[in-house]
Amino acid sequence: MAQSNTITQPGSPDLPGRPTPRDTMRSAGRMAGPFLGLALVLLLFSIKPDVRSSFLAVGNFRIVAAQTVIVALGALGMTIIMISGGIDLSVGSVIALTCVIAALMIKAGQPAIVALCVAALSGGVVGAINGSLIAGLRVTPFIVTLGTLGVARGAAKWLAQEQTINPPSSALNNLAATQPVPSWLLVSPGVWITLALAILTAILLRYTLLGRYIFAIGSNEIASRLGGLRVDALKIGIYALGGLFFGLAGALQYGRLGMGDPTVAVGAELDIIAAVVIGGGSLSGGEGSVLGSILGALIMSFLRNGSQQMGWPAYVEEMIIGAVIVAAVALDQIRHRGRKG
Amino acid sequence: MKISTMQKNGWIVLLALASMVALAGCGGSGGAQTGASGGSASGGRSPVSAGGGKPALEIAVIPKGTTHEYWKSIHAGAIKAQQELAQKGQQIHIKWQGPLEENDKNTQINIVETFIQQKVNGFVLAPLDSQALVTPVNEAEKAGIPVVILDSALNSSNYSSFVATDNKKGGFLAGQALIHLLGGKGRVLMMRYLEGSASTADREAGFLQAIQAAKGITLVSSDQYGGASAETAFQTGQNLMNRFSKNLDGVFTPNESTTLGMRLALKGVGMLGKVKFVGFDSDPKLIDALKAHEIQALVVQNPFKMGEEGVLTVVKVINKQPVPKRIDTGVAVVTPQNMNTPDMVKLLNPPLDQYLK
Repeated sequence: MAQSNTITQPGSPDLPGRPTPRDTMRSAGRMAGPFLGLALVLLLFSIKPDVRSSFLAVGNFRIVAAQTVIVALGALGMTIIMISGGIDLSVGSVIALTCVIAALMIKAGQPAIVALCVAALSGGVVGAINGSLIAGLRVTPFIVTLGTLGVARGAAKWLAQEQTINPPSSALNNLAATQPVPSWLLVSPGVWITLALAILTAILLRYTLLGRYIFAIGSNEIASRLGGLRVDALKIGIYALGGLFFGLAGALQYGRLGMGDPTVAVGAELDIIAAVVIGGGSLSGGEGSVLGSILGALIMSFLRNGSQQMGWPAYVEEMIIGAVIVAAVALDQIRHRGRKG
Repeated sequence: MKISTMQKNGWIVLLALASMVALAGCGGSGGAQTGASGGSASGGRSPVSAGGGKPALEIAVIPKGTTHEYWKSIHAGAIKAQQELAQKGQQIHIKWQGPLEENDKNTQINIVETFIQQKVNGFVLAPLDSQALVTPVNEAEKAGIPVVILDSALNSSNYSSFVATDNKKGGFLAGQALIHLLGGKGRVLMMRYLEGSASTADREAGFLQAIQAAKGITLVSSDQYGGASAETAFQTGQNLMNRFSKNLDGVFTPNESTTLGMRLALKGVGMLGKVKFVGFDSDPKLIDALKAHEIQALVVQNPFKMGEEGVLTVVKVINKQPVPKRIDTGVAVVTPQNMNTPDMVKLLNPPLDQYLK
């Protein structure tokens, strides 16, 4: 019998219910791809002995972790959005906008935690706007978020008055720093925050009702609507939730640069979407996982880091990352054609 | 059946990545290691004694970007320093790595951090932003790796030496040249380069200082930014021409990309040669424009000397020799009248082909 899309946990042909051990094994199997990909990347840059000693080093992992935080947070938000069948191209611009907002908050004398919250909330507001336009106008998310990409970037430049904002340093700078200040933390507080949020997001997607609804909308939106889900309201919530993550990423971007820069994160949406797709997310919705997206983000960070350690020119790095993105998307297509057979 | 599809997917991922890795390995190796290095393995960090007795030093040279002619001249100068040092028995490897775009601060920060991790012996860095690169440079100095700052200032004094043009003076000379060309009277505008770029900000300030002292000169615009590339500068220039070209006598642009972009914008409205145009930096196209009297004066730096001095200075610091905190590499105003004198010819045509094979 053909495997039809049903409103159940992904991969389970059984009745809807809590994930069974078989589901867990299936998810683990699906993770094989990204884990193998990460292992391959690590292997590739460990071949040359003189590169290996500085590549496979704790100090290097710390650097890569700090460099991955922003893409990883973006990927968490993007995972939720993509599982629901949508996409958000405006993430890079939102990161720039919230980076500027965080800088403005700090400059106005607000404590770091307030700046962080305001930045995250601003991202959520943009997300809610995206969701409302998508649900209300019934225009495809690709186009709507392509529009907000421009509007948000322009707003960022407007708020920053076309300069960079240089407030005095604050606790926010330490969040994203490579060397954590209480050194027993091992990695920067931002990395720990990202890990905690990743776990929370995974729990949300797997064990909560909202998580099931997100998968439902992504698997079969029409059936979900007919089944009684308030799809439009859910979409607004989903994009807003994603936007909260993007806002947080922007606050951390501010921490890393030490300044509000409206020209930052151009093209970040490609890295973030690539991370989700490499991790098993599907552009047509209904699939995706937090662990996969984090692995995807790490794969790309390690690719960049390793390319530089090998002494390859920057354009080689660009081409490799582009090729990895194409391969991941092709894989996504093959996987879907395979299912229908 | 689902399990075999998953296994198939896993293999496809592996194969795809493996083939990419193979392609990258064939294509990318031997990229950044240039110049006369004494032997085989590229990127070797362990000191290799090659005929001179002293261990080979790894020097990371990080420009703001890699596309402008300016950075190629710096690269050539760095290689000349490498050859000079090799003749004196000091082998060095130059690791030339820069962000592709001149506004990608994140990547430049990442590059510095990764080189610190690789334990290079010294940095020669042109900071994209006077503020954003302070923390990575502090980390480098803390790790015992001396940093020589090139071209653009850093908002800190925690580095070994600052090798650059006196940019304020360069801008001032440009302002004086424009005043002279206009006979002290006229309407001028300045198109800025990029926010956060200290070198061009100094030039812009120097130009304004000269202009403000001239009573007969009116400044009609000085707040528009050309952006990181000649293309974006072309667009901004076109917008400026839309507004001001009917009543304009002189124009100043503070770097290579803005000068290129403004030239195209002026050409678009047919004003080339009709307004007095003072630009900054040189590349073959700008030199031709100077010859054709499309540009009346170019303020030229000495990036070749900057690259050379930068590398020589950082090696001196590594060898615990004293160095001056500030090294001025000089600036000159080139005009169609003086561009064929031997000094100017050397400045305008740094021997790129000789060093950047």
